[in-house]
Amino acid sequence: MSNRILEVECISKRFGGLQAVSPFSFHMDKGEILGLLGPNGAGKTTAFNMIAGALRTDTGAIRFNGRDIVGEKPWDICRLGIARTFQLSKPFGGLSVVENVMVGAFVRTASEAEARAEAEKVVDFLGLSAKACTDAEDLTAFDRRKLELGRALATGPRLLLMDEVVAGATPTEAQEMVALVRRVRDLGVSILIVEHVMKVIMGLSDRVIVLDYGKLIADGPPQQVVNQPDVLKAYFGERYVHARA
Amino acid sequence: MRVSFTLILGLPLLVAALILPFVVADNYVVHSAAMVLYFAYMASSWNFVCGYVGQVSLGHAAFSGIAGYASVLLFTGLGLSPWIGMILGGILAAAISVPVGYATFRLKGPYFTLTSIAFAEILRIWLENTDAFLGIPLKGAQGLTVPPVGGTSFVAFQFDGKLPYYFIILAMLVGVMAATRLMERSRLGFYLKAIRGNRDGSEALGIDPTRYCLTALALSAFLTGLGGAYYAQLFRYINPERNMGIDLSIDMAVMTIVGGQGTILGPTLGALVLHPVGEVVRATLGGHVLGLHLILYGVVLMLAVLYFPKGIIAPLQRWLAPAPKAPAPVVKPKEVEGR
Repeated sequence: MSNRILEVECISKRFGGLQAVSPFSFHMDKGEILGLLGPNGAGKTTAFNMIAGALRTDTGAIRFNGRDIVGEKPWDICRLGIARTFQLSKPFGGLSVVENVMVGAFVRTASEAEARAEAEKVVDFLGLSAKACTDAEDLTAFDRRKLELGRALATGPRLLLMDEVVAGATPTEAQEMVALVRRVRDLGVSILIVEHVMKVIMGLSDRVIVLDYGKLIADGPPQQVVNQPDVLKAYFGERYVHARA
Repeated sequence: MRVSFTLILGLPLLVAALILPFVVADNYVVHSAAMVLYFAYMASSWNFVCGYVGQVSLGHAAFSGIAGYASVLLFTGLGLSPWIGMILGGILAAAISVPVGYATFRLKGPYFTLTSIAFAEILRIWLENTDAFLGIPLKGAQGLTVPPVGGTSFVAFQFDGKLPYYFIILAMLVGVMAATRLMERSRLGFYLKAIRGNRDGSEALGIDPTRYCLTALALSAFLTGLGGAYYAQLFRYINPERNMGIDLSIDMAVMTIVGGQGTILGPTLGALVLHPVGEVVRATLGGHVLGLHLILYGVVLMLAVLYFPKGIIAPLQRWLAPAPKAPAPVVKPKEVEGR
């Protein structure tokens, strides 16, 4: 059991009359890249927000390294070692690239010099050194995504939750991001990744889980999961599955 | 980069402020200059939290009043030196700011501003209508006078000429700027800017926004309180209207916004431009058109928001310290660090 970094048991979320996420469970091993798939509105981001503490699950438990984190505030969860990136990258305006990353690094130190040193390492890791002093708001959309990742990395996470990292990126940029995510995993960080772009998630994930209408419909290695009728149905509709059969 | 710019603009201003009272040794001029410095100080104290976290408080005058009354009452009642009263008053203002801030910092934008007005106005109206509270003579709207000790006494914060008052407020202004600079470079400063930029994003990076906003607010309330106590000593008089009225809150906010929020020198620039203009208008036209200086404030604020949304400090910065051409040299941050 000690190899489990995250255990999610029967979490669910209801918004008024809408059951956004039905009770579902999954787990993650240390050093694993787990892909969370599902069509629009399947409840991926809601599930994501529940783990990150931005939303509180209605039921069940979320254990990080064996410790239940349900009800913890987002900032406490970050301190425990879970970092996240957002679907929409909004850098902190008026701060340079390196200063944006410093905000993340300040979780582990109160010293400005230490935070700056740590942030410079992260900026270098991202390949953004040439833009270290640029105002973060002047970055291109893709560099903003990298900065978003950098801020999260600077908090020194053991588990990284990534929401739609290549949305709107060109194929070359997507490739670069995939390589970057692999290098993050090589640092020993486990990664839960939500992604629409199939090519990215297939190449990157060790294992994928699929949500549809708030229900978990598949769990397994990427190649195997994408050929399951339930998954095909969720993405392409019933008729497509019949036509193939 | 910002540091060097602050020095380029700030040092000449400081030198000018230091020699001004010797060049023009006129009591009226020195007093007026001290008032400009006072407003610069108050705006800088306001900027300490509001300018960095991006929330407009129009209730800061309450902190000025709380500390002002505390210092005067401790002097008249217990004979405590106003210097100590000033500090104690500042601490009292900070202590009161925490529960108020705890309730209001959950609100955003106009709701935060409205509650801050309500807080300050309730306190002011209560004071104006309270003759004595728990045996402490507050004398309502009439206000309190500071009894003269006769002549110059440093301990009693009373001086014959205007010159000592001028240098005291100048030192306080330099102090608040130094505090702002320290805060800007510290974790608190980074966190406030992060909260201003993107609250949800900051939470995900381990920042508890309420905690850091309250820390900054308490410091800001303390600094504002020192200014309020100074004002009471300068005039040897304090009343709810002048020391904690909404006009003061508006002055602090408008001067900072016009000068440049979230910068070290912005609030001072705002005070430097707005206070003299307001005074001249009040002196020349005040008798005929009451409240004209407020209309002028409105016009200046609109022009500033339209043409210099980051304050009049922004064009000065571009002119005096142009930003390095992108991509910036990588060695830059180390240079700043070595300072």
